[in-house]
Amino acid sequence: MDAPVVRTRVGGPGSIQVQNLSHVYVGRDGASPALADIDFAVEPGRFVVLVGPSGCGKTSLLMMLAGLREHSGGTILCDGRAVTGPDPDRLGVVFQEANLFPWLSAVDNVAFPLTLRRVKVAERRRRAQEMLRLVRLEEFGRRYPHELSGGMRQRVSIARGLVQDPPVLLMDEPFAALDEQTRMSMGDELLRIWSETRKTVVFVTHSLTEAVYLADEVIVMSARPGRIIERIEVDLPRPRRYETMSDPRFIALRDRIWRHIRAERA
Amino acid sequence: MTSRLAIFAARALLVGCVLLIWEMLPRLGFVADDLLPPFSQVVSLLLQLLARPQFQMDIATTALEIVTAFAIAVPLGAICGLLIAESPYAARVFDPLLFFLFSIPKSIFLPMFILTLGIGFWQKVGFGCFSTTLLVLLSTQAAVRSVRPDHLLVARSYGATPMQVIARVYLPSMLPIVLEALRLALIFTFTAVTLAEMYASRTGVGHRIETWGENFMMPQLLAGVLLMSTTAIVLNEGIRWLEHRCGAWRT
Repeated sequence: MDAPVVRTRVGGPGSIQVQNLSHVYVGRDGASPALADIDFAVEPGRFVVLVGPSGCGKTSLLMMLAGLREHSGGTILCDGRAVTGPDPDRLGVVFQEANLFPWLSAVDNVAFPLTLRRVKVAERRRRAQEMLRLVRLEEFGRRYPHELSGGMRQRVSIARGLVQDPPVLLMDEPFAALDEQTRMSMGDELLRIWSETRKTVVFVTHSLTEAVYLADEVIVMSARPGRIIERIEVDLPRPRRYETMSDPRFIALRDRIWRHIRAERA
Repeated sequence: MTSRLAIFAARALLVGCVLLIWEMLPRLGFVADDLLPPFSQVVSLLLQLLARPQFQMDIATTALEIVTAFAIAVPLGAICGLLIAESPYAARVFDPLLFFLFSIPKSIFLPMFILTLGIGFWQKVGFGCFSTTLLVLLSTQAAVRSVRPDHLLVARSYGATPMQVIARVYLPSMLPIVLEALRLALIFTFTAVTLAEMYASRTGVGHRIETWGENFMMPQLLAGVLLMSTTAIVLNEGIRWLEHRCGAWRT
Protein backbone atom coordinates (compact mmCIF):
# COMPACT_ATOMS: atom_id res chain seq x y z
CA MET A 1 0.00 0.00 0.00
CA ASP A 2 2.92 2.31 0.70
CA ALA A 3 4.41 1.84 -2.72
CA PRO A 4 1.47 1.12 -5.04
CA VAL A 5 3.45 1.38 -8.26
CA VAL A 6 5.83 -1.38 -7.24
CA ARG A 7 3.04 -3.51 -5.79
CA THR A 8 1.01 -3.53 -8.98
CA ARG A 9 4.01 -4.80 -10.88
CA VAL A 10 4.73 -7.59 -8.44
CA GLY A 11 1.18 -8.60 -7.39
CA GLY A 12 -0.84 -7.23 -10.32
CA PRO A 13 -2.54 -8.97 -13.22
CA GLY A 14 -0.21 -11.35 -14.98
CA SER A 15 2.30 -11.57 -12.17
CA ILE A 16 3.44 -14.89 -10.78
CA GLN A 17 5.17 -15.52 -7.48
CA VAL A 18 6.44 -18.93 -6.49
CA GLN A 19 7.53 -19.04 -2.87
CA ASN A 20 9.53 -21.84 -1.32
CA LEU A 21 7.76 -24.44 -3.43
CA SER A 22 8.57 -28.09 -2.85
CA HIS A 23 7.09 -31.38 -3.83
CA VAL A 24 7.59 -34.90 -2.56
CA TYR A 25 6.46 -37.62 -4.91
CA VAL A 26 4.96 -40.60 -3.13
CA GLY A 27 5.09 -43.68 -5.30
CA ARG A 28 5.20 -47.44 -4.87
CA ASP A 29 8.85 -47.38 -3.73
CA GLY A 30 8.18 -44.77 -1.05
CA ALA A 31 8.60 -41.02 -1.03
CA SER A 32 11.16 -39.16 -3.11
CA PRO A 33 11.67 -35.40 -3.36
CA ALA A 34 10.78 -34.09 -6.84
CA LEU A 35 11.07 -30.32 -6.43
CA ALA A 36 12.85 -28.34 -3.71
CA ASP A 37 13.26 -24.67 -2.75
CA ILE A 38 11.71 -23.24 -5.88
CA ASP A 39 11.55 -19.47 -5.49
CA PHE A 40 10.98 -16.99 -8.26
CA ALA A 41 8.74 -14.17 -9.38
CA VAL A 42 7.66 -13.20 -12.86
CA GLU A 43 6.66 -9.64 -13.64
CA PRO A 44 3.62 -9.05 -15.86
CA GLY A 45 4.32 -9.29 -19.56
CA ARG A 46 7.62 -11.14 -19.23
CA PHE A 47 8.61 -14.19 -21.22
CA VAL A 48 10.20 -16.75 -18.91
CA VAL A 49 11.55 -20.10 -20.06
CA LEU A 50 12.17 -23.12 -17.83
CA VAL A 51 14.93 -25.51 -18.90
CA GLY A 52 16.64 -28.42 -17.20
CA PRO A 53 17.69 -32.03 -17.69
CA SER A 54 14.99 -34.59 -18.48
CA GLY A 55 12.96 -35.57 -15.45
CA CYS A 56 13.92 -32.47 -13.44
CA GLY A 57 10.29 -31.62 -12.83
CA LYS A 58 9.90 -28.60 -15.10
CA THR A 59 6.66 -29.90 -16.57
CA SER A 60 5.44 -30.79 -13.08
CA LEU A 61 6.24 -27.26 -11.98
CA LEU A 62 4.27 -25.84 -14.90
CA MET A 63 1.30 -28.10 -14.12
CA MET A 64 1.43 -26.85 -10.52
CA LEU A 65 1.38 -23.24 -11.77
CA ALA A 66 -1.68 -24.23 -13.83
CA GLY A 67 -3.37 -25.64 -10.73
CA LEU A 68 -3.51 -29.07 -12.37
CA ARG A 69 -1.19 -30.83 -9.95
CA GLU A 70 -0.79 -30.81 -6.19
CA HIS A 71 2.39 -29.61 -4.50
CA SER A 72 3.57 -30.55 -1.02
CA GLY A 73 4.83 -27.22 0.27
CA GLY A 74 5.14 -23.51 -0.44
CA THR A 75 2.77 -21.19 -2.28
CA ILE A 76 2.03 -20.16 -5.83
CA LEU A 77 0.48 -16.75 -6.36
CA CYS A 78 -0.92 -15.39 -9.58
CA ASP A 79 -2.20 -11.79 -9.61
CA GLY A 80 -1.30 -11.86 -5.91
CA ARG A 81 -3.83 -14.62 -5.16
CA ALA A 82 -3.05 -18.27 -4.42
CA VAL A 83 -3.49 -20.81 -7.20
CA THR A 84 -5.47 -23.71 -5.74
CA GLY A 85 -6.93 -25.28 -8.87
CA PRO A 86 -7.43 -24.67 -12.57
CA ASP A 87 -8.43 -21.05 -13.14
CA PRO A 88 -8.84 -20.27 -16.84
CA ASP A 89 -9.53 -16.59 -16.09
CA ARG A 90 -5.99 -16.15 -14.83
CA LEU A 91 -4.04 -18.92 -16.54
CA GLY A 92 -4.32 -20.36 -20.04
CA VAL A 93 -2.49 -23.61 -20.74
CA VAL A 94 -1.00 -24.90 -24.01
CA PHE A 95 0.06 -28.54 -23.96
CA GLN A 96 2.85 -30.43 -25.69
CA GLU A 97 0.67 -32.22 -28.20
CA ALA A 98 -1.88 -29.67 -29.36
CA ASN A 99 -4.51 -31.86 -27.67
CA LEU A 100 -7.37 -30.58 -29.77
CA PHE A 101 -10.65 -32.48 -29.64
CA PRO A 102 -10.78 -34.37 -32.95
CA TRP A 103 -14.61 -34.22 -33.08
CA LEU A 104 -14.68 -30.40 -33.01
CA SER A 105 -13.77 -28.03 -35.84
CA ALA A 106 -10.89 -25.59 -35.28
CA VAL A 107 -13.20 -22.72 -34.36
CA ASP A 108 -15.16 -24.91 -31.91
CA ASN A 109 -11.91 -26.10 -30.36
CA VAL A 110 -10.87 -22.50 -29.79
CA ALA A 111 -14.32 -21.74 -28.37
CA PHE A 112 -14.27 -24.80 -26.08
CA PRO A 113 -13.35 -22.88 -22.89
CA LEU A 114 -16.17 -20.42 -23.63
CA THR A 115 -18.60 -23.30 -24.19
CA LEU A 116 -17.82 -24.51 -20.67
CA ARG A 117 -18.70 -21.01 -19.43
CA ARG A 118 -22.00 -21.11 -21.35
CA VAL A 119 -21.12 -18.02 -23.37
CA LYS A 120 -23.75 -17.41 -26.09
CA VAL A 121 -23.04 -19.07 -29.44
CA ALA A 122 -22.69 -15.85 -31.46
CA GLU A 123 -20.32 -14.28 -28.92
CA ARG A 124 -18.35 -17.51 -28.70
CA ARG A 125 -17.92 -17.74 -32.47
CA ARG A 126 -16.93 -14.08 -32.70
CA ARG A 127 -14.23 -14.37 -30.04
CA ALA A 128 -12.94 -17.69 -31.38
CA GLN A 129 -12.75 -16.24 -34.87
CA GLU A 130 -10.86 -13.22 -33.51
CA MET A 131 -8.32 -15.55 -31.89
CA LEU A 132 -7.96 -17.53 -35.11
CA ARG A 133 -7.19 -14.25 -36.84
CA LEU A 134 -4.51 -13.54 -34.21
CA VAL A 135 -2.80 -16.86 -35.01
CA ARG A 136 -3.40 -16.27 -38.75
CA LEU A 137 -5.77 -19.19 -39.25
CA GLU A 138 -8.99 -17.25 -39.92
CA GLU A 139 -9.48 -19.22 -43.15
CA PHE A 140 -9.27 -22.59 -41.40
CA GLY A 141 -11.96 -22.34 -38.71
CA ARG A 142 -14.20 -24.98 -40.26
CA ARG A 143 -11.43 -27.55 -40.70
CA TYR A 144 -11.11 -30.48 -38.33
CA PRO A 145 -7.82 -31.18 -36.52
CA HIS A 146 -6.95 -34.13 -38.80
CA GLU A 147 -7.20 -31.74 -41.75
CA LEU A 148 -4.57 -29.37 -40.27
CA SER A 149 -0.76 -29.63 -40.16
CA GLY A 150 1.08 -30.06 -36.86
CA GLY A 151 2.05 -26.39 -36.73
CA MET A 152 -1.49 -25.27 -37.50
CA ARG A 153 -2.87 -27.51 -34.78
CA GLN A 154 -0.50 -25.98 -32.27
CA ARG A 155 -1.57 -22.48 -33.36
CA VAL A 156 -5.21 -23.46 -32.81
CA SER A 157 -4.16 -24.69 -29.38
CA ILE A 158 -2.51 -21.31 -28.62
CA ALA A 159 -5.68 -19.55 -29.78
CA ARG A 160 -7.68 -21.75 -27.40
CA GLY A 161 -5.31 -20.83 -24.56
CA LEU A 162 -5.83 -17.12 -25.26
CA VAL A 163 -9.59 -17.08 -25.95
CA GLN A 164 -10.56 -16.20 -22.39
CA ASP A 165 -7.93 -13.46 -22.39
CA PRO A 166 -6.04 -14.71 -19.32
CA PRO A 167 -3.08 -12.51 -18.36
CA VAL A 168 -0.78 -15.56 -18.16
CA LEU A 169 -0.06 -18.24 -20.74
CA LEU A 170 1.61 -21.46 -19.56
CA MET A 171 3.20 -23.51 -22.33
CA ASP A 172 4.49 -27.06 -21.88
CA GLU A 173 6.98 -27.88 -24.66
CA PRO A 174 4.42 -26.74 -27.22
CA PHE A 175 6.71 -27.16 -30.22
CA ALA A 176 8.50 -30.36 -29.18
CA ALA A 177 6.53 -32.56 -31.58
CA LEU A 178 7.14 -30.32 -34.61
CA ASP A 179 9.89 -30.56 -37.21
CA GLU A 180 12.73 -28.05 -36.97
CA GLN A 181 11.57 -25.69 -39.71
CA THR A 182 8.02 -25.52 -38.38
CA ARG A 183 9.44 -25.12 -34.92
CA MET A 184 11.53 -22.08 -35.86
CA SER A 185 8.68 -20.31 -37.60
CA MET A 186 6.36 -21.15 -34.69
CA GLY A 187 8.88 -19.46 -32.38
CA ASP A 188 8.67 -16.25 -34.41
CA GLU A 189 4.90 -16.59 -34.58
CA LEU A 190 4.70 -16.92 -30.80
CA LEU A 191 6.92 -13.86 -30.28
CA ARG A 192 4.65 -11.86 -32.61
CA ILE A 193 1.51 -13.00 -30.73
CA TRP A 194 3.23 -12.24 -27.44
CA SER A 195 4.24 -8.76 -28.55
CA GLU A 196 0.64 -8.07 -29.69
CA THR A 197 -1.02 -9.37 -26.53
CA ARG A 198 1.66 -8.65 -23.90
CA LYS A 199 0.79 -11.78 -21.93
CA THR A 200 3.05 -13.15 -19.25
CA VAL A 201 4.44 -16.40 -20.69
CA VAL A 202 6.00 -19.29 -18.81
CA PHE A 203 7.41 -21.71 -21.35
CA VAL A 204 8.98 -25.15 -20.78
CA THR A 205 11.39 -26.53 -23.36
CA HIS A 206 14.22 -28.99 -23.91
CA SER A 207 15.79 -26.84 -26.61
CA LEU A 208 18.41 -24.42 -25.35
CA THR A 209 18.41 -22.48 -28.64
CA GLU A 210 14.66 -22.05 -28.40
CA ALA A 211 15.00 -21.00 -24.76
CA VAL A 212 17.49 -18.21 -25.43
CA TYR A 213 15.74 -17.12 -28.61
CA LEU A 214 12.36 -16.63 -26.93
CA ALA A 215 13.15 -15.62 -23.37
CA ASP A 216 13.52 -12.47 -21.32
CA GLU A 217 14.76 -14.77 -18.61
CA VAL A 218 15.81 -18.42 -18.58
CA ILE A 219 15.40 -20.38 -15.36
CA VAL A 220 17.82 -23.33 -15.30
CA MET A 221 16.81 -26.25 -13.12
CA SER A 222 18.91 -29.05 -11.66
CA ALA A 223 18.37 -32.80 -11.97
CA ARG A 224 15.85 -34.37 -9.63
CA PRO A 225 14.98 -33.12 -7.09
CA GLY A 226 14.58 -30.02 -9.25
CA ARG A 227 16.03 -26.82 -7.83
CA ILE A 228 16.79 -23.53 -9.50
CA ILE A 229 20.49 -23.42 -10.40
CA GLU A 230 20.52 -20.03 -12.05
CA ARG A 231 18.16 -17.41 -13.39
CA ILE A 232 19.71 -15.94 -16.51
CA GLU A 233 18.62 -12.59 -17.86
CA VAL A 234 18.56 -12.60 -21.67
CA ASP A 235 19.18 -9.00 -22.67
CA LEU A 236 19.34 -9.56 -26.41
CA PRO A 237 17.48 -6.89 -28.39
CA ARG A 238 13.97 -7.49 -29.73
CA PRO A 239 12.52 -8.19 -32.21
CA ARG A 240 14.75 -11.22 -32.50
CA ARG A 241 15.61 -12.62 -35.89
CA TYR A 242 17.34 -15.61 -37.35
CA GLU A 243 20.64 -13.65 -37.24
CA THR A 244 20.26 -13.22 -33.48
CA MET A 245 21.21 -16.87 -33.12
CA SER A 246 24.70 -16.20 -34.46
CA ASP A 247 25.24 -13.17 -32.15
CA PRO A 248 28.21 -13.98 -29.85
CA ARG A 249 26.11 -12.98 -26.82
CA PHE A 250 23.42 -15.50 -27.86
CA ILE A 251 26.02 -18.25 -28.15
CA ALA A 252 27.59 -17.32 -24.84
CA LEU A 253 24.22 -17.52 -23.07
CA ARG A 254 23.40 -20.88 -24.63
CA ASP A 255 26.83 -22.26 -23.66
CA ARG A 256 26.36 -21.09 -20.11
CA ILE A 257 23.03 -22.92 -19.84
CA TRP A 258 24.49 -26.02 -21.47
CA ARG A 259 27.41 -26.12 -19.00
CA HIS A 260 24.90 -26.13 -16.11
CA ILE A 261 22.85 -28.90 -17.63
CA ARG A 262 25.86 -30.98 -18.67
CA ALA A 263 27.12 -30.85 -15.09
CA GLU A 264 23.71 -32.05 -13.91
CA ARG A 265 23.60 -34.88 -16.42
CA ALA A 266 27.01 -36.25 -15.43
CA MET B 1 -16.26 -38.80 -58.55
CA THR B 2 -16.57 -40.75 -61.79
CA SER B 3 -14.53 -43.56 -60.31
CA ARG B 4 -16.86 -43.75 -57.31
CA LEU B 5 -19.82 -43.91 -59.65
CA ALA B 6 -18.06 -46.55 -61.74
CA ILE B 7 -17.41 -48.69 -58.68
CA PHE B 8 -21.05 -48.37 -57.62
CA ALA B 9 -22.12 -49.40 -61.12
CA ALA B 10 -19.75 -52.40 -61.05
CA ARG B 11 -21.19 -53.51 -57.72
CA ALA B 12 -24.77 -53.20 -58.97
CA LEU B 13 -23.83 -55.11 -62.08
CA LEU B 14 -22.29 -57.91 -60.03
CA VAL B 15 -25.38 -58.27 -57.81
CA GLY B 16 -27.56 -58.12 -60.93
CA CYS B 17 -25.52 -60.90 -62.55
CA VAL B 18 -25.81 -63.18 -59.52
CA LEU B 19 -29.58 -62.67 -59.43
CA LEU B 20 -29.79 -63.21 -63.17
CA ILE B 21 -27.85 -66.48 -62.91
CA TRP B 22 -30.18 -67.53 -60.07
CA GLU B 23 -33.14 -66.73 -62.35
CA MET B 24 -31.75 -68.46 -65.43
CA LEU B 25 -30.26 -71.67 -63.98
CA PRO B 26 -33.66 -73.30 -63.21
CA ARG B 27 -35.39 -71.69 -66.21
CA LEU B 28 -32.85 -73.10 -68.65
CA GLY B 29 -33.06 -76.48 -66.98
CA PHE B 30 -29.51 -76.61 -65.54
CA VAL B 31 -30.91 -77.03 -62.03
CA ALA B 32 -34.20 -78.64 -61.05
CA ASP B 33 -36.61 -75.94 -59.89
CA ASP B 34 -37.61 -78.05 -56.85
CA LEU B 35 -34.06 -77.48 -55.71
CA LEU B 36 -33.64 -73.88 -56.84
CA PRO B 37 -36.81 -72.03 -57.81
CA PRO B 38 -36.19 -68.92 -59.96
CA PHE B 39 -35.52 -65.62 -58.19
CA SER B 40 -38.68 -63.95 -59.51
CA GLN B 41 -40.82 -66.78 -58.21
CA VAL B 42 -39.23 -66.51 -54.74
CA VAL B 43 -39.83 -62.76 -54.66
CA SER B 44 -43.48 -63.07 -55.63
CA LEU B 45 -43.95 -65.82 -53.03
CA LEU B 46 -42.34 -63.59 -50.40
CA LEU B 47 -44.80 -60.81 -51.25
CA GLN B 48 -47.69 -63.25 -50.89
CA LEU B 49 -46.32 -64.49 -47.55
CA LEU B 50 -45.96 -60.95 -46.28
CA ALA B 51 -49.67 -60.41 -46.94
CA ARG B 52 -50.69 -63.39 -44.77
CA PRO B 53 -51.76 -62.55 -41.19
CA GLN B 54 -50.10 -65.68 -39.81
CA PHE B 55 -46.70 -64.79 -41.27
CA GLN B 56 -47.12 -61.21 -40.09
CA MET B 57 -47.63 -62.61 -36.58
CA ASP B 58 -44.39 -64.56 -36.96
CA ILE B 59 -42.53 -61.43 -37.98
CA ALA B 60 -44.02 -59.49 -35.08
CA THR B 61 -43.01 -62.23 -32.63
CA THR B 62 -39.43 -62.38 -33.87
CA ALA B 63 -39.15 -58.58 -33.95
CA LEU B 64 -40.48 -58.27 -30.40
CA GLU B 65 -38.03 -60.93 -29.17
CA ILE B 66 -35.11 -59.16 -30.79
CA VAL B 67 -36.12 -55.72 -29.53
CA THR B 68 -36.70 -56.99 -25.98
CA ALA B 69 -33.41 -58.89 -25.86
CA PHE B 70 -31.58 -55.86 -27.29
CA ALA B 71 -33.27 -53.48 -24.85
CA ILE B 72 -32.16 -55.60 -21.89
CA ALA B 73 -28.69 -56.58 -23.12
CA VAL B 74 -27.45 -53.11 -24.13
CA PRO B 75 -28.04 -51.22 -20.85
CA LEU B 76 -27.00 -54.26 -18.82
CA GLY B 77 -23.76 -54.71 -20.75
CA ALA B 78 -23.08 -50.97 -20.83
CA ILE B 79 -23.53 -50.51 -17.07
CA CYS B 80 -21.40 -53.55 -16.19
CA GLY B 81 -18.77 -52.39 -18.72
CA LEU B 82 -18.68 -48.88 -17.23
CA LEU B 83 -18.38 -50.22 -13.68
CA ILE B 84 -15.54 -52.56 -14.61
CA ALA B 85 -13.72 -49.95 -16.71
CA GLU B 86 -13.89 -47.42 -13.86
CA SER B 87 -12.20 -49.75 -11.37
CA PRO B 88 -8.69 -51.01 -12.16
CA TYR B 89 -9.16 -53.73 -9.53
CA ALA B 90 -12.39 -55.04 -11.08
CA ALA B 91 -10.81 -54.90 -14.54
CA ARG B 92 -7.90 -57.04 -13.42
CA VAL B 93 -10.20 -59.59 -11.80
CA PHE B 94 -12.85 -59.79 -14.52
CA ASP B 95 -11.04 -59.17 -17.80
CA PRO B 96 -9.49 -62.63 -18.38
CA LEU B 97 -12.68 -64.38 -17.25
CA LEU B 98 -14.77 -62.26 -19.63
CA PHE B 99 -12.44 -63.08 -22.48
CA PHE B 100 -12.74 -66.80 -21.69
CA LEU B 101 -16.51 -66.50 -21.76
CA PHE B 102 -16.44 -64.48 -24.95
CA SER B 103 -14.48 -67.16 -26.78
CA ILE B 104 -17.03 -69.91 -26.06
CA PRO B 105 -19.62 -70.43 -28.83
CA LYS B 106 -22.88 -69.32 -27.22
CA SER B 107 -25.00 -71.83 -29.16
CA ILE B 108 -23.85 -74.75 -26.97
CA PHE B 109 -25.77 -73.21 -24.08
CA LEU B 110 -29.05 -73.16 -25.98
CA PRO B 111 -30.31 -76.51 -24.57
CA MET B 112 -29.87 -75.17 -21.04
CA PHE B 113 -32.01 -72.17 -21.89
CA ILE B 114 -34.73 -74.52 -23.13
CA LEU B 115 -34.50 -76.62 -19.96
CA THR B 116 -34.83 -73.57 -17.72
CA LEU B 117 -37.05 -71.21 -19.71
CA GLY B 118 -39.05 -73.55 -21.95
CA ILE B 119 -39.51 -72.85 -25.64
CA GLY B 120 -41.51 -69.63 -25.40
CA PHE B 121 -40.84 -65.90 -25.69
CA TRP B 122 -38.50 -65.56 -22.70
CA GLN B 123 -36.26 -68.38 -23.80
CA LYS B 124 -35.56 -66.47 -27.05
CA VAL B 125 -35.09 -63.22 -25.15
CA GLY B 126 -32.91 -64.91 -22.54
CA PHE B 127 -30.65 -66.52 -25.10
CA GLY B 128 -30.51 -63.29 -27.16
CA CYS B 129 -29.45 -61.32 -24.07
CA PHE B 130 -26.91 -63.91 -23.08
CA SER B 131 -25.29 -63.81 -26.50
CA THR B 132 -25.17 -60.01 -26.68
CA THR B 133 -24.50 -58.67 -23.19
CA LEU B 134 -20.89 -59.78 -23.10
CA LEU B 135 -20.16 -58.11 -26.42
CA VAL B 136 -21.70 -54.83 -25.25
CA LEU B 137 -19.78 -55.10 -21.97
CA LEU B 138 -16.42 -55.56 -23.68
CA SER B 139 -17.14 -52.80 -26.21
CA THR B 140 -18.15 -50.38 -23.47
CA GLN B 141 -14.89 -51.04 -21.68
CA ALA B 142 -13.02 -50.41 -24.91
CA ALA B 143 -14.99 -47.19 -25.44
CA VAL B 144 -14.17 -45.90 -21.95
CA ARG B 145 -10.50 -46.74 -22.47
CA SER B 146 -10.50 -44.91 -25.79
CA VAL B 147 -11.00 -41.61 -23.91
CA ARG B 148 -7.59 -39.98 -23.92
CA PRO B 149 -6.25 -38.77 -20.55
CA ASP B 150 -4.76 -35.65 -22.18
CA HIS B 151 -8.22 -34.66 -23.42
CA LEU B 152 -9.49 -34.95 -19.86
CA LEU B 153 -6.55 -32.82 -18.71
CA VAL B 154 -7.43 -30.11 -21.25
CA ALA B 155 -11.04 -30.08 -20.08
CA ARG B 156 -9.91 -29.86 -16.47
CA SER B 157 -7.46 -27.05 -17.21
CA TYR B 158 -10.36 -25.00 -18.59
CA GLY B 159 -12.37 -25.62 -15.44
CA ALA B 160 -14.86 -28.22 -16.73
CA THR B 161 -17.25 -29.60 -14.11
CA PRO B 162 -17.57 -33.42 -13.82
CA MET B 163 -20.86 -33.28 -15.75
CA GLN B 164 -19.21 -31.20 -18.49
CA VAL B 165 -16.35 -33.69 -18.68
CA ILE B 166 -18.86 -36.49 -19.25
CA ALA B 167 -20.94 -34.57 -21.78
CA ARG B 168 -18.14 -32.86 -23.69
CA VAL B 169 -15.26 -35.36 -23.51
CA TYR B 170 -16.43 -38.85 -22.54
CA LEU B 171 -19.53 -39.04 -24.74
CA PRO B 172 -18.06 -37.66 -27.97
CA SER B 173 -14.91 -39.79 -27.52
CA MET B 174 -16.95 -42.91 -26.94
CA LEU B 175 -19.69 -42.34 -29.52
CA PRO B 176 -18.07 -44.04 -32.55
CA ILE B 177 -17.17 -47.18 -30.60
CA VAL B 178 -20.57 -47.23 -28.91
CA LEU B 179 -22.36 -47.05 -32.27
CA GLU B 180 -20.20 -49.82 -33.64
CA ALA B 181 -21.01 -51.89 -30.55
CA LEU B 182 -24.74 -51.26 -31.03
CA ARG B 183 -24.50 -52.43 -34.60
CA LEU B 184 -22.72 -55.64 -33.67
CA ALA B 185 -25.08 -56.14 -30.73
CA LEU B 186 -28.07 -55.94 -33.04
CA ILE B 187 -26.57 -58.55 -35.35
CA PHE B 188 -25.67 -60.82 -32.42
CA THR B 189 -29.20 -60.54 -31.02
CA PHE B 190 -30.70 -61.17 -34.43
CA THR B 191 -28.57 -64.29 -34.89
CA ALA B 192 -29.23 -65.64 -31.40
CA VAL B 193 -33.00 -65.16 -31.52
CA THR B 194 -33.31 -66.72 -34.97
CA LEU B 195 -31.15 -69.64 -33.91
CA ALA B 196 -33.24 -70.21 -30.79
CA GLU B 197 -36.40 -70.14 -32.92
CA MET B 198 -34.99 -72.65 -35.37
CA TYR B 199 -33.84 -74.96 -32.59
CA ALA B 200 -37.13 -75.25 -30.70
CA SER B 201 -40.14 -73.04 -31.10
CA ARG B 202 -43.77 -72.85 -32.17
CA THR B 203 -43.65 -69.32 -33.57
CA GLY B 204 -41.36 -66.83 -35.26
CA VAL B 205 -39.69 -66.45 -38.64
CA GLY B 206 -36.82 -68.70 -37.56
CA HIS B 207 -39.28 -71.45 -36.74
CA ARG B 208 -40.97 -71.03 -40.17
CA ILE B 209 -37.65 -71.25 -41.98
CA GLU B 210 -36.75 -74.37 -40.04
CA THR B 211 -40.11 -76.03 -40.86
CA TRP B 212 -39.85 -75.15 -44.55
CA GLY B 213 -36.38 -76.65 -44.66
CA GLU B 214 -37.50 -79.85 -42.92
CA ASN B 215 -40.36 -80.23 -45.41
CA PHE B 216 -38.26 -79.40 -48.43
CA MET B 217 -40.33 -76.34 -49.32
CA MET B 218 -37.59 -74.58 -51.26
CA PRO B 219 -39.51 -71.51 -52.52
CA GLN B 220 -40.73 -70.67 -48.98
CA LEU B 221 -37.33 -71.41 -47.48
CA LEU B 222 -35.57 -69.11 -49.94
CA ALA B 223 -38.22 -66.41 -49.42
CA GLY B 224 -37.51 -66.57 -45.69
CA VAL B 225 -33.77 -66.38 -46.27
CA LEU B 226 -34.27 -63.40 -48.58
CA LEU B 227 -36.41 -61.60 -45.98
CA MET B 228 -33.96 -62.17 -43.11
CA SER B 229 -30.93 -61.22 -45.21
CA THR B 230 -32.52 -57.99 -46.42
CA THR B 231 -33.61 -57.03 -42.91
CA ALA B 232 -30.16 -57.67 -41.46
CA ILE B 233 -28.44 -55.69 -44.22
CA VAL B 234 -30.80 -52.71 -43.85
CA LEU B 235 -30.34 -52.60 -40.05
CA ASN B 236 -26.58 -52.94 -40.31
CA GLU B 237 -26.20 -50.28 -42.99
CA GLY B 238 -28.53 -47.91 -41.14
CA ILE B 239 -26.29 -47.90 -38.07
CA ARG B 240 -23.16 -47.83 -40.19
CA TRP B 241 -24.44 -44.67 -41.85
CA LEU B 242 -24.92 -43.12 -38.39
CA GLU B 243 -21.43 -44.24 -37.37
CA HIS B 244 -20.00 -42.58 -40.43
CA ARG B 245 -21.83 -39.32 -39.74
CA CYS B 246 -20.77 -39.18 -36.08
CA GLY B 247 -17.24 -40.49 -36.46
CA ALA B 248 -15.79 -38.81 -39.53
CA TRP B 249 -13.00 -37.44 -37.32
CA ARG B 250 -11.81 -40.92 -36.43
CA THR B 251 -9.91 -41.49 -39.67
